[in-house]
Amino acid sequence: MDNGERFDTSRMKRSHWAAHFLEGWSVFIQNPLGKAGVGLLILFGLMAAASVIPPWIDPMYRPMTGVDPEIVRSVGPSLKHWLGTDFMGRDLFSQLLAGARIAFMVGVSAAFMTVVLGTAIGMTAGYMGRTVDTLLMRLADIIMVMPTLLFVLMLAALFGQLNIWTIVLIIGLFRWPGVSRVIRSQTLSLKQRPFIEAARVAGASHLRIIFRHIMPNVLPLSFLYMTFRVTSAITIEAALAFLGFGDPGTVSWGMMLQWVWKTGHMFKAPYWLLPPGICISLITLSFYMLGRAMDEVLDPRLRKEEDA
Amino acid sequence: MNARTAGTGNRNSEAEDLLEVEDLSVGYRTKRGFMRAVDGISFSLKKGRSLGLVGESGCGKTTVGMTLMGLLPPNGEVRGGRILFKGEDLVQKTEEEMQRLRWNEIAMIFQAAMNALNPVQRVEKQIAEAILTHAPDLPEEEALRRVEGLFQMVNLPGERMHDYPHQYSGGMKQRAIIAMALACNPDLIIADEPTTALDVIVQHQILEEIKALQDDLGISLIFISHDISIVADVSHDIGVMYAGQLVEYGSREEVFGDPRHYYTRALLASYPTLAGEKRDLVPIPGETPSLVAPPSGCRFCDRCDAAAEACSLERPDWLEISPTHRVLCARCLSS
Amino acid sequence: MELRSFIFRRLIQVVVIFFIIQTALFLLFRLAPGDPVERMVDPTMTPEDADRLVAVLGLDQPLWTQYAIYLRNFFQGEFGTSFYYGQPVVEIIWEKLPNTILLFTTSIILSALVGIALGKIAAWHKGSRTDTWLTIGSLVTHTVFLPWLALLLIWVFAYKLGWFPITGMISEDVWLDPGAGLWAKALDIGHHLVLPLSTLFLIHFGSSLLVMRSSMLDTLKEDYILTARAKGLTDKEVRNRHAARNAALPVVTGVGLGLAFSINGGALTETVFTWPGIGRELVFAVSHADYPLAQAAFLLIALVVLVANVIVDVLYAYLDPRIRY
Repeated sequence: MDNGERFDTSRMKRSHWAAHFLEGWSVFIQNPLGKAGVGLLILFGLMAAASVIPPWIDPMYRPMTGVDPEIVRSVGPSLKHWLGTDFMGRDLFSQLLAGARIAFMVGVSAAFMTVVLGTAIGMTAGYMGRTVDTLLMRLADIIMVMPTLLFVLMLAALFGQLNIWTIVLIIGLFRWPGVSRVIRSQTLSLKQRPFIEAARVAGASHLRIIFRHIMPNVLPLSFLYMTFRVTSAITIEAALAFLGFGDPGTVSWGMMLQWVWKTGHMFKAPYWLLPPGICISLITLSFYMLGRAMDEVLDPRLRKEEDA
Repeated sequence: MNARTAGTGNRNSEAEDLLEVEDLSVGYRTKRGFMRAVDGISFSLKKGRSLGLVGESGCGKTTVGMTLMGLLPPNGEVRGGRILFKGEDLVQKTEEEMQRLRWNEIAMIFQAAMNALNPVQRVEKQIAEAILTHAPDLPEEEALRRVEGLFQMVNLPGERMHDYPHQYSGGMKQRAIIAMALACNPDLIIADEPTTALDVIVQHQILEEIKALQDDLGISLIFISHDISIVADVSHDIGVMYAGQLVEYGSREEVFGDPRHYYTRALLASYPTLAGEKRDLVPIPGETPSLVAPPSGCRFCDRCDAAAEACSLERPDWLEISPTHRVLCARCLSS
Repeated sequence: MELRSFIFRRLIQVVVIFFIIQTALFLLFRLAPGDPVERMVDPTMTPEDADRLVAVLGLDQPLWTQYAIYLRNFFQGEFGTSFYYGQPVVEIIWEKLPNTILLFTTSIILSALVGIALGKIAAWHKGSRTDTWLTIGSLVTHTVFLPWLALLLIWVFAYKLGWFPITGMISEDVWLDPGAGLWAKALDIGHHLVLPLSTLFLIHFGSSLLVMRSSMLDTLKEDYILTARAKGLTDKEVRNRHAARNAALPVVTGVGLGLAFSINGGALTETVFTWPGIGRELVFAVSHADYPLAQAAFLLIALVVLVANVIVDVLYAYLDPRIRY
């Protein structure tokens, strides 16, 4: 029976977390969405890892600076250039591989920042309550109605070309409200629980209660939101690059699309138009599927907790 | 089979049977196998009488109610027996026929603590909807006028019918639900835990009201509850259910005055006085047997003080104590 | 009425939030590295004109005074002059606003309605092939990269098939033709609207569908659904009168929360299709270092999002009496 198994795993005191994780993982990997998401992400991970190989074979495969001297225009796929070349004769396949690395970098680091910020603010607001709560949540409301992409554009106008880490930082600063709202309500319900009361009576400090008792209980949710935030970070960076405000020193998929669009190749060069678009869409899809699969793993437990 | 003869054995009244349930078996398809939630129960109900079904949660009493309404969930299934309502077998009826019958002839009083009323519709609209579904030609104003009449019957101020459910107190919601059950003048009302989660005073008022309405309108009532003191308050007859079976059946006086089944006795013992303070059922030690693979013998024997070895092996038979009182136990005659 | 006071409270909140955004933007523009005068005054102006503008915008005053002037200017509709167009910013913005609202509102309403209708079907036939395809379809369209989808639609339906114009909002030959009536003009705009609208619709309907589907599945487990069935309603009546109506509430919430995200998409769509709206104007202004225009366009977009938020909230309060009373 279900209950019996759960009881057994929790008895393995050795590693409560590992047991939890394994239990969740087994449900998760059985989920078709989770399976597809993980599969696709492994593929993209391989692409990112492989991005170092072409420039190492020949300098003309450098995604940004390498130009095939024999072709200085866009031509279709060939043995030498598997996906063809762009308007300057740069290899599209190497660009695509490099784009995977940028996408992961931007997505994961921005999402991580978002989630750290969102979790910290959410826990603080929920735990402290009163004025602190009101102030933080009003701030969240304001940031929530700000269109992030357009705001980053404004900043680009004011501060000139933004480098990739600035973009990551701004995305992190602007995407936390959604996370903090969820974490806050979770914290509020945790606060009512006897074990928090017990810790307080026992004289634990606020910080200790937050980090030792509340944080472990909200972390799975934070993790879930991280996958969704990866999606939005990748999309925002790509859109920014597409509009011509990306980091000029990096080749991202959005940048590739910007080039095909701005140089007027979009009707002539499907070999150039299709791959980056497919990659951006698929990587967002796979993180999204990952998130939904995790959601389904976490959800029953959440509901049970709400009932209690 | 004994159950059948016992079920039709109530011949103390000349009033005709409104409802006759014969050897009804209902279950659910689950991952672990077919769960026999109701296993061969029989009882009958006459016009204007009330029957109380009592038992712990999971004993199958709610399944009985849902089967009578034809509202089993998709994985539910009637595996045998008949439900004769006014002489017609409900088990054989199509969904369309059941839709016409529901509420019009058999209505239900739901637990108000549950979300039984739609939170985004005005109460009057929800009750009028029941009326209009079964009388589509009725003008809407007429239906609303009837709702007003129903509100009077259950002692709710008429102007509150325009409100939304969340504007009601628990007791008011319960009255509104009773009003809704009466909307189509049904012959039979099934009340499933109608007073659970109400405070004691309101609970008492609601029970009195149900009793009075039932007497006045001559409606037959099946009252389902886990609380034997409440069942005793409103029912003429009482059926005690355990693990999908009816284990004792008789008039209120017989079951309370002379309880024969050990489970009935345990239930009664857990309630000090009938009129006393409501308190939670003192748990009877032990667990209910699995309904997927029920034991062949008496289902209560593991928890029974008087169980002998034979109890767990032989299927118990019905014993007729009196023409109206019977009990599913091999050892009960001795007491 | 209760609803009226609810709207009133929300409007006050909006005014406060807008004021804060405005202030933040003011500080950004004044305190960012570089000379604010250079940012607000067109370098090609004659010195006299430039001095006059500096005086109007209060750029020679201390920060607090500047701020007061900035607020006063806002209420008087004075946003300075666009560097690129050489025209008062407010005129440009007012001209583009209706175009954005047309595209934005139609796409949001359409995608929400279709999402609700399809989500209802998916939930009702849970586990069927229809459900699977609808779910996969909405996952894919929801996560596809918007500008790329827009380019694909242009490529296929405008370039290859020639069914729709490639870009723009109007055809000059129709609008310059004195014989063309209102109807012909409206039809022309509609023709141009199809592709941008489809882009935004495809991006948005999926999330509504998925929310509706899961909300409908939850709603079907509610007790009042059992009550409705017990009353003798047919399955269809139960589904439409009780389940779908209530299940749609979270979709409305979702649309409200997604408004800022939607306007991002709106700006991208306007840019790719050169739809003459404020979003495209903002992108354009940023690429041409047209600061006055960029600032005003952003403020107006923020205002559009805020107002749309209030409308969604009011709609929600109208649909769910528990909020109102």
